[in-house]
Amino acid sequence: MLTTSRNKLKKPFVGLLAIAGLVVGLSPANAHHAFSAEFDAGQPIEVKGVVTKFELVNPHSWLYLDVKGPDGKVTNWGFEFGAPFNLKEKGITKQTLTAGTEVTIKGYRAKSGKDFGYAVTSTLPDGRTVQTGGAQDAPAAPNAPAAVNK
Amino acid sequence: MKTNLNNRPTQFRGFGLPFLLVATFVISVLSMNLAVADEKIPRLSNGKPDFSGIWQSTSAAEYGLEPHSNRKDAPPSAGIVEGNVIPYLPQALEQKKKNFENRATDDPAVKGYTLGVPRGVYYPEPFQIFQRARDLNIVHQFGHSVRTIHTNDTDHPSLDDVNDWWLGDSRGHWENDTLVVDAKYFNDKTWLDHAGDFHSDALHIVEHWKFIDPNTIEYKATLDDAKVYSRPWNISVILHRHREKNFQLIEDYRYTLDYDQYYPPKPDKK
Repeated sequence: MLTTSRNKLKKPFVGLLAIAGLVVGLSPANAHHAFSAEFDAGQPIEVKGVVTKFELVNPHSWLYLDVKGPDGKVTNWGFEFGAPFNLKEKGITKQTLTAGTEVTIKGYRAKSGKDFGYAVTSTLPDGRTVQTGGAQDAPAAPNAPAAVNK
Repeated sequence: MKTNLNNRPTQFRGFGLPFLLVATFVISVLSMNLAVADEKIPRLSNGKPDFSGIWQSTSAAEYGLEPHSNRKDAPPSAGIVEGNVIPYLPQALEQKKKNFENRATDDPAVKGYTLGVPRGVYYPEPFQIFQRARDLNIVHQFGHSVRTIHTNDTDHPSLDDVNDWWLGDSRGHWENDTLVVDAKYFNDKTWLDHAGDFHSDALHIVEHWKFIDPNTIEYKATLDDAKVYSRPWNISVILHRHREKNFQLIEDYRYTLDYDQYYPPKPDKK
């Protein structure tokens, strides 16, 4: 803490702080969001289902959808999306993904093994494919994802 | 004393002074009743009542909005629900019962989550209102919650811009000295109390905030939620101003308590 009695130290110290701040600020913000802490880049998946719930939340929105498995059984999956403002810039609002909307998601499965994933891209009923993922360190859309429906 | 009154006809003699005294008394009593509550309540420079200060309810609503007898985890309460019963839809009532049974673990407040609206108003911890002409900001001691009630004649955001907010979006306007607030666009993650009373993301609340006297606010709210209740219903609590010397909020953020044991990190990971 700088006090008036230490004025002599003030100028060079503040300069040092400024430089330090610049250095820290320029490094990649990996600590901010760790995709790999929760999701597995080695388990790409593709899921097609019907929206049950879409929660617009900062910093990560969530989409829940009912997915019919090959055996006909329906499970509810949750997928992490990006921040509401970024989604809106890409044309996705709470009104775009209302309950009952059909959507296809390409992404990566959660490490926990539960029915959760990270959505890299979402394909809407009108054919638009939108990059809905918000993590800076997430891998790109998988080329050969395992299809959960087939 | 010699006055002209003595020269008046007999039937009017003695009428003047007592009448004047009575009239003055009556008028002053009437004007007292009109003026007392009005004059003394704090006001902003624009004349609107100023709710700034630290407030807290003394009700036991947090332990259950409906009337309830005591439990090991709750004092008894006469309830704050008008009509005593929350009008749940049948399926919602089943959910409420499940919530009640699992309240020790499932209550989001136990996990330190935001209390939401209106639970933050009657939760037994203080909140501080910072008010200016264009908004009120309510800072709750519990959790890191700050709710802004916009009083600048703006409406809720358009449907393209709404999120699922923990504290909703609140827009207020004045009806004389009552602040009327419309709040909606909530998520479904908060409860209304520790007894498992809950709502969905369709919750819509209309609040009335009004001074009873400079140190007391009457708070009324109407809740409606088509997914959970069969009709709108009302609650009412009284908020008291904290007047202890140097009283201030003290941070009460529970979410990180379980993680405190890991900090500072121990070098040998033991």
